Amino acid sequence: MREEPKERLDPRAKTLWRLSGFLEMLPVLAAGLGLGWAVARYGDQPPAMAAVPVLATLVATLVNAFVLPELRWRRWRYEIREDEVDLQHGVFWVVRTLVPFARIQHVDTRSGPLQRRFGLATVVFYTAAGPNRIPELAAPVAAEVRDRIAELTRERDEL
Amino acid sequence: MSSEPRHLHPAAMVIEGIRAVRGWASAAAIPGLAALLGGLSWWVLALLLLGVVSLIFGAALWGFLSWRATVYWVSGGAFHLRSGVLQKKERTIPLEHVQSVDTVQGILQRLFGVVEVRIETAGGGSSEPDAALPAVSRKAADKLRRELGGEGVEPGVEDVPVPRIIRRLSTRDLLVAGATSGQIGPAAALVGAASQFFDELYDRFLSEEAARSLLEALAPHAFAAAALLLLGVGLLAWLLAIAGTVLAYAGFTLSRSPDGRNVHISRGLLNRYEATIPVSRIQAVRVVEGVLRQPFGLASLRVESAGYGRDEGVSTTLFPMLPRREAAELLAAVDEGLAADPPLTPLPRRAFRRYVLRALLPALLAVLAAAGAWLAGAGAVWFSAVLPLPVLAVLYGALRYRDAGWALEGGRLVVRSRLVARTTSIAPRRRLQSRSVLRSPLQRRVGLATFRVRVASGGGGTGVEVVDLDLPSAWRLMDALGPSSASDRDPVPSR
Repeated sequence: MREEPKERLDPRAKTLWRLSGFLEMLPVLAAGLGLGWAVARYGDQPPAMAAVPVLATLVATLVNAFVLPELRWRRWRYEIREDEVDLQHGVFWVVRTLVPFARIQHVDTRSGPLQRRFGLATVVFYTAAGPNRIPELAAPVAAEVRDRIAELTRERDEL
Repeated sequence: MSSEPRHLHPAAMVIEGIRAVRGWASAAAIPGLAALLGGLSWWVLALLLLGVVSLIFGAALWGFLSWRATVYWVSGGAFHLRSGVLQKKERTIPLEHVQSVDTVQGILQRLFGVVEVRIETAGGGSSEPDAALPAVSRKAADKLRRELGGEGVEPGVEDVPVPRIIRRLSTRDLLVAGATSGQIGPAAALVGAASQFFDELYDRFLSEEAARSLLEALAPHAFAAAALLLLGVGLLAWLLAIAGTVLAYAGFTLSRSPDGRNVHISRGLLNRYEATIPVSRIQAVRVVEGVLRQPFGLASLRVESAGYGRDEGVSTTLFPMLPRREAAELLAAVDEGLAADPPLTPLPRRAFRRYVLRALLPALLAVLAAAGAWLAGAGAVWFSAVLPLPVLAVLYGALRYRDAGWALEGGRLVVRSRLVARTTSIAPRRRLQSRSVLRSPLQRRVGLATFRVRVASGGGGTGVEVVDLDLPSAWRLMDALGPSSASDRDPVPSR
């Protein structure tokens, strides 16, 4: 139980996360640039002060777009065990979750426009207490995982 | 079993009509108020009168039409409900999907001696019941309940078998429950809002001098007046809280159906609620010891139940107040699997510091902010006011640490924690939807973890968690609460 789950996400996930991490930082970056410009233009501060918000948002973008995807991918693991699904994720807060098949009600795969570009999909399985997901699997793998969970769920249907 | 299409009780016309008026009145309120504020003249009054008359007429018509349009029946193994005046709706609920049949008696329904029937399915969980019949006579409601198979009764018996009463709330307990309800906060807010309103009135009708002389006459010292006012508000809020509890929980009766599959709750003075909760749907129970109740050894019981997402009070209170040590006994009467009062394993020593720090950090921030404000030129009053905060925070953190604990007993996870009230949650292993071990960077350094299970509740889920237990115990819980390991320990008939 204490050893990590075996399976990893698709390696393309890293590229996807880098891209989406960069995209979601764009507004923040724009705000940082704007603030820097405003300080340089209207504030009577030394010019170095104007660089502070720009640099800060730049660093945040770099972290979110390049450092975190790598760390997140390394941590994200899953395994379909004999009677439950085993998930582990989280860069700083490491979360390990076990979901028994007997509690899973239905399973979906879904993929957003960006995911489809990369040929990736997310498996979402629902319990009565809400959804759990395995993101960024190669589309055929995701379909396989979905079917396997669905089948195992049917076998252990005791409510 | 099939039956003829049936209409609602004629009282439904009045009830639906009044409901419609309520909807329309709120729409008409703003133009109405505007007209009133514009000054009363004869033609405004005439217009108003016309509006009221057409409202009443419209409501009567609407009530009649909706009564005529609403038909329900049971046939082909399903419950059917046809309704809708303008847009016709027909709803079919297969009997095996019917989760519970509740009856609620609002003030209007009481007036006519009828009940509202609410039918819930497992797929529900939204705020609306899946089907509601606003006015049905008692007899028709009982008949419908039998047809829906809610009670396992032999056909032919006219009245529903008397459920076995587990516990009743006595009048004395009801008053104690109100007095210790902890609803003073919300009630005080209400009083505050009301006083705001009276302030306005008072400003309008009393000149400044008159107000001041009145105040001076009442209490010569401003401080005494303020204290008196505060005391008055507190007392009023307390009385309101008691009244609220009495209205909601009067006549609280918890009973169990003869076959033991359902528990029934009935309660309420003005609005009469009768809820039926299938025991198999109970996911977890919580024993809540409020701050005001704990010193007297009192607690309330709540249930987390799947397919019940409605407002908190109706079905989540299993019993409003009882002595703490009788909780396990009452739970055993509901279901053996829920009763547990084992000795709890405390958290490791090294978790103490984390609990205290967690409480202390916001307090220290407040002190820092106040110190900053003091330096910036604000008075020292604020600073001295927040100064005791850190001490209180440390005490609070220590209390939370002392009260936290967990146990695994007979396939049940028992967790105690405190936020304000001390809450003991009991979650049977068979009801756990998922379980997780969470570790923050700091927890990893000291070998602690947070263990969390999720149970179904209402439309979504809710968590039961132990914060900062040692990592080996967390993994052990992870193993022990799994589906496979349990089958050899506590055999459960599968399928």
